[in-house]
Amino acid sequence: MASLPEENKELIQRLRDPKTCREAFGEVIKTYSEPLYWQIRRMVQSHDDANDLLQNTFMKAWSSIENFRGDARLSTWLYKIAINESITFLDRERKRRNLSLDDQEADLVRTIESDTEFDGDELQKKLRTAIASLPEKQRLVFNMKYFDDMKYEDMSNILGTSVGALKASYHLAVKKIENFFLEND
Amino acid sequence: MKEQRDILTEINRRDGMTVPDGYFESFAAKMAEALPQRNEAENPGAIILPPPTLWTRVRPYVYLAAMFAGVWCMLKMFSLMASPTDANSVIDKNPVLAEAISNDVFINDYVINDLNQWDIIDEMIEDGFDSSSLEFESDSDNEVTFVDPAAVNSTN
Repeated sequence: MASLPEENKELIQRLRDPKTCREAFGEVIKTYSEPLYWQIRRMVQSHDDANDLLQNTFMKAWSSIENFRGDARLSTWLYKIAINESITFLDRERKRRNLSLDDQEADLVRTIESDTEFDGDELQKKLRTAIASLPEKQRLVFNMKYFDDMKYEDMSNILGTSVGALKASYHLAVKKIENFFLEND
Repeated sequence: MKEQRDILTEINRRDGMTVPDGYFESFAAKMAEALPQRNEAENPGAIILPPPTLWTRVRPYVYLAAMFAGVWCMLKMFSLMASPTDANSVIDKNPVLAEAISNDVFINDYVINDLNQWDIIDEMIEDGFDSSSLEFESDSDNEVTFVDPAAVNSTN
């Protein structure tokens, strides 16, 4: 569960050169697949879905690598794509299965309870359930801050939200999780 | 509240989720292999389009300019049709007409002779002329002549 890697300027230069782009992108996959995977997995809960979405994320990044001008950080750009993929997936599933937001939350809890890729204890499972009960934006903010220990400035660049709003969102998320533990003791 | 905050500390940023063994290593290798060819630099056999010619680049602008010129011409034409040109200005600009109007013989032959004498009488009456002061030598419609009583008195 590593936080985002440091920016590598030499890697970005190689990404811009068509002759070295493919090789450099291979390194991008090696470097970023793990942090992006965990971000996606915490949103969709299922390993199989997270695996598919991670592939889509890199495919989209590869197909539009020329659009990455280096103005933003590579990690920020990749995170944006991954989060968009996750949210689009959840929306699509909700519409496809005609679920309300509450129904989808219950569906995520069922996925957590039947998850075979889990070796934690009851407390950790309870935390996953509590996080799944949060609204999408708060869930994103909580995951980025609590698990990845991401800076609010970086989160602001990724989510397009002010630092103040992100702090408030994280504070609310923590409160809700605390209440969840109080109510389900 | 303090107790609950300790739960988040106790969990210590671990949520117990796992992945299959060697997942990230195999994912990176499979993903790198699955990346499609992107451009001609990676694929030398690809069809390379020739660079655009000058005409190809300026063509959209030429078409746009022609379209605006056409619209301008149409508007100009509609404007001319909607406001007919002043007749006087046409005569002034036409040397043949201008010369004809300044020629007294032409005016007498082709303009004044066309006037109906009854039109003249009507105009005179409208202007307040007393028709009773006139004496008619003939009441024929075609040969009406007026005799000025003052002139008659002076000759008598």
